[in-house]
Amino acid sequence: MNPFEFEFMQRAFVACAVIAAVAPLVGSFIVQRGQSLVGDGMGHVAFAGVGLAFLVGADPVLGALACTVLAGLLLVRMGRAGLAGDLAIALIFYGGIAVGYLFASRAQAGQSRLVGLLFGSPLNLTWPEVGVIVGLALAVVAVVVALYPRLVAMAFDEEAARVAGVPTDRMVLALTVMVAMVVVGGMSSIGLLLISAMMVVPVAAAAQLASSYRGALVLASAIGGASAVVGLLVAHYRDYAPGSAIVLVAIACYLAATAWRGVTRRALA
Amino acid sequence: MASAATGAPLAAPPAAPLELDGVSFAYGRSKVLSDVSLRVAQGEFVAVVGSNGSGKTTLMKLGLGLLPAGSGHVRLFGEELSSFRAWWQVGYVPQRATASSTIPVSVEEVVVSGLAARTRLIRRRSPGEAARIDHVVELLGLEGLRRSRLSELSGGQQQRALIARALVTGPKLLVLDEPTTGVDAEARSVLRKSLQHLVEVEGMAVVYVSHDPEGFSGLAQRVVEVVGGRTPVDSGRSSLREVATG
Repeated sequence: MNPFEFEFMQRAFVACAVIAAVAPLVGSFIVQRGQSLVGDGMGHVAFAGVGLAFLVGADPVLGALACTVLAGLLLVRMGRAGLAGDLAIALIFYGGIAVGYLFASRAQAGQSRLVGLLFGSPLNLTWPEVGVIVGLALAVVAVVVALYPRLVAMAFDEEAARVAGVPTDRMVLALTVMVAMVVVGGMSSIGLLLISAMMVVPVAAAAQLASSYRGALVLASAIGGASAVVGLLVAHYRDYAPGSAIVLVAIACYLAATAWRGVTRRALA
Repeated sequence: MASAATGAPLAAPPAAPLELDGVSFAYGRSKVLSDVSLRVAQGEFVAVVGSNGSGKTTLMKLGLGLLPAGSGHVRLFGEELSSFRAWWQVGYVPQRATASSTIPVSVEEVVVSGLAARTRLIRRRSPGEAARIDHVVELLGLEGLRRSRLSELSGGQQQRALIARALVTGPKLLVLDEPTTGVDAEARSVLRKSLQHLVEVEGMAVVYVSHDPEGFSGLAQRVVEVVGGRTPVDSGRSSLREVATG
């Protein structure tokens, strides 16, 4: 049975492959800045937006996008004021998921719908929803391409970049908004709790193999996209949860890349 | 104003690349620097020394706008820091033992990142920028390492790459914070020759922050010692003291 023959699978392949290929582009900068868990936290905050949207009868994507962008702006302002400590960030993130579930339960949103948003339900996507995901992904790619030299300079050494004239505050803001866009884009396909893995794991895998930042970005994007396709195929043939299968394939890529690097290092020694 | 001998108007003296005037700074209630002044002239090599925690790095961060001064004035090339925009004139090599990078980054990418603020969307690198990249790579002895992964180089090679990044815009002021930390003897020698060339040939002003005089002896025209360090809030005071050059 060829999964590409089914339209629901075609939609799932397009949505998951696109967002999983774009997520590492943003992830590379947060990983380099030592903020690998920011995407996870943003997923928690997005859930508050989803819950609020259910409560007032709005589009969950808009609710999640509004909440994550607002949380991003708040985090940037707290960072500037020296208030973005570990505890303050944890309060925002955990508060987000608690408020989200409170709102969603008050709105009597179905459990399966909530689980689908937390862990992904790509097989239920419609073409307009796929269009929104592709639109968000293209916007993120455009921003990364436009700001690439400045984002690299800031991610590698923020103080030196500031002295070189890079507007680092604005770059942090742009990066935070991009994280929010990826989280929202991945919400209904890979899941709010799993999309952050696609920002980090493909980057970690590519870092084992590449010798330049640009090379690592391209490779991470390829690993992300390929993990989505292979993960969906595994999920289709083995009847696994798609979001989990995608992330586990990405983790397998990381383990394989680490093993490969170990072998080549020993061979060169 | 006119010259007494010729009657011709006198040219204004060139603005100092770095000038701190009565600057104070405290971390919370802990005073680090109080009413400190320092002027670095064009083409001057000034070494800033002092014991650990004396406030050397804080002083330079104030001078570069990385920390806000509690009081006093900071000027770069005669302009107040708040209105200064010509950051390409300033090169900065922060204090670090090694260049850490989770994601692989090549030597060339590190050097080119120094041009990030001047890079525009869909604009190819200008011939001038390409020539400047080649020049600093050659000056720091990195020709054969351009495509090498930074994290796989020695501490000295990494430090040279970071200095090349600071030089790639063609700055007129170079600030180095503990540049020889974790650097081997050969790299120190390359660094000395490079700094000598920058001051004597390119007329650059250099501020060299270090607790180790070996790196700047014979190069520094002035040695300034930060005295006092972190001191009690009520009575503390840091000051700068000129020290005879080696």
